[in-house]
Amino acid sequence: MSIILKGITKYFGKQKILNNLSLEIKKGEFHVLLGPSGEGKTTLLSIIAGLLKPDKGEVWIDKYLVNNLPPQKRNIGFVFQDHALFPHLTVYENVAYGLRAKGIKEKIIKEKVLNYIKLVNLIDYQNKYPSELSGGQKQKVALARALVIEPYILLLDEPLSNIDAWQKEHLREELKNIQKKTGVTTLYVTHDQSEAFVLADRISILHKGSIEQVETPEDIFYHPKTPFVATFVGATNILKGKIIKYNEFTVQFLVLQEGLTKPLIIFVKKYPLFRQKNEIFLLCLHPEKISLKEKPQLENRFLSRILNIIPHGIVLKIMVDVYGLKLQVVIPKINFNFDSFKDNIWVCFSPDALHPLCGKCYRDPEYRKCNYKTNIVK
Amino acid sequence: MYIKILKSKFINFNLFIIFIAGVFFAFIILVLLTLVINTSLKEFLYHLYSPVVFSAILISLETSIVVVCLSFLFGFPVAYLLALKNFKGKIFLDTLLDLPIVLPPLVSGLALLLLFGGDSWLGNILNHWNISIIFTKKGIIIAQLFVSSPFFIKTLKEAIVSIPKNLLYASATLGASSFYTFKSVILPLCKRGVWAGLVMTWARAMGEFGATAMVAGCIPKQTETMTIAIYMQAMSGDLASATSIALILMILSFISLFIFKRRLKYEYYS
Repeated sequence: MSIILKGITKYFGKQKILNNLSLEIKKGEFHVLLGPSGEGKTTLLSIIAGLLKPDKGEVWIDKYLVNNLPPQKRNIGFVFQDHALFPHLTVYENVAYGLRAKGIKEKIIKEKVLNYIKLVNLIDYQNKYPSELSGGQKQKVALARALVIEPYILLLDEPLSNIDAWQKEHLREELKNIQKKTGVTTLYVTHDQSEAFVLADRISILHKGSIEQVETPEDIFYHPKTPFVATFVGATNILKGKIIKYNEFTVQFLVLQEGLTKPLIIFVKKYPLFRQKNEIFLLCLHPEKISLKEKPQLENRFLSRILNIIPHGIVLKIMVDVYGLKLQVVIPKINFNFDSFKDNIWVCFSPDALHPLCGKCYRDPEYRKCNYKTNIVK
Repeated sequence: MYIKILKSKFINFNLFIIFIAGVFFAFIILVLLTLVINTSLKEFLYHLYSPVVFSAILISLETSIVVVCLSFLFGFPVAYLLALKNFKGKIFLDTLLDLPIVLPPLVSGLALLLLFGGDSWLGNILNHWNISIIFTKKGIIIAQLFVSSPFFIKTLKEAIVSIPKNLLYASATLGASSFYTFKSVILPLCKRGVWAGLVMTWARAMGEFGATAMVAGCIPKQTETMTIAIYMQAMSGDLASATSIALILMILSFISLFIFKRRLKYEYYS
């Protein structure tokens, strides 16, 4: 079933947690709500589940307005961040809880519970108590308990946040597979962008109580619309530039940044919204689209200095100084030979590597078309 | 060098804690031991089998057990309400529950005497139905209930509050009604609180004196509880008798509390 949220506003005291939030989650979709901690993600889930009432706005599940429906009657599976397993019940009893509460016959309960315990690979643990399980196993029990009631919607509140890093990847895959098998509409909340990109069919970015962007993981990553989204998904190079010249396929920008040792002029792909000289835009330069070379290449090439190198899994995050502008570069470890680089290095990127951060806009298959007025940085 | 200093400070601190705790326990033991020292076994057995003392023990046990049952019956809904529901006047009601604990029992007794006395409106209604409270066992029960049931309610309320809210939310999202959640989650998870509250209530009821004496008086074999018997014997100059009854009360209380704590420890570690 689909979820439609219309203008949800929620206050805690005088603090506005959710601000006129609207969102549509399609039937069968694995939707990830991504945002920093303390931005109201859990509050939103609680409102959908009926554990909290919104101060304003409507919650629709499929065609039904459920604002006044208690959580018991919404048939929503909720997996809590801390698992919320009943400590006095065994794995089997925890999973059976929802069915017993609904007064279903014990024979049917047994069949269903064992099915779901098998689905999460915990058949050997069915008589254990939660205190005897690992974090990952607890999360699987919580998932089975939420799924066994065959919910219309599954809500997951940072379910992997308390799990060891080595277990996370495996659990993500299992979670995705289980969601595919059951086909249940899923809303997954996290502050971890890597989790979001692996799991989601679509991602919503929550910022200051509103949804800032809703798109597929690829679009969120490569086409963030706002500086916040760009920074949050790791596209940390945001440049403020003024159009100084129009070419046939590119536009030349003068980077406006305090502390530059010399004028920095960059070539950017000619987007339709670049209409006249002296207009100022915020531009996003993806760190993985920058390459470090011994010799100059591509339209944009600047001799620069390496400030620091931070290993990050299979990639390196390298901070370079381009005429006083600090840029982050992400390159695979395997492509980086420490010996071949001296103090100075060429930072190279094509005009395609940049795109304007243009707030509320839509994307064309060929060009990123933006609302002209909202783009101009005042 | 630094570690040495830290170590010596740590040892000194521990010695200090042990010393203070030792002094305190010595004080408690000294007081209780005084009762034992001042009672010979012969006297103790003699008073144990005396009809007045035996009756006082029975009255105390009977009334305190009834009080425990009534506290459970009334206390559960009150504790549930105060722990889980938000409403206007909640803090007022919570503070009201503290009053029987902090008020001198004599004041509570006086209030109960005025409420249930023959001249009061309630006393008149009860008299009309041939129910008398003053100078009866019912009076003892009401006085003990008033003074001791808040101990059960307060303990139980804290036990319910300490249940993680997410467990209750999880239960609700799984479709469980409020009663099912109460039966299947709240009750099992606050079992320790229930027992602790009941034992405290029982102990308070057993030791109740002021309010009981005001409401039920001191009629031997009818309304004379153990505490009242101790007072009466001591006032009449029979200290040996008073000490023996006090010792019986102490032994009864200690055994009950000890069994309860052993049971709790067993449950906790199992």
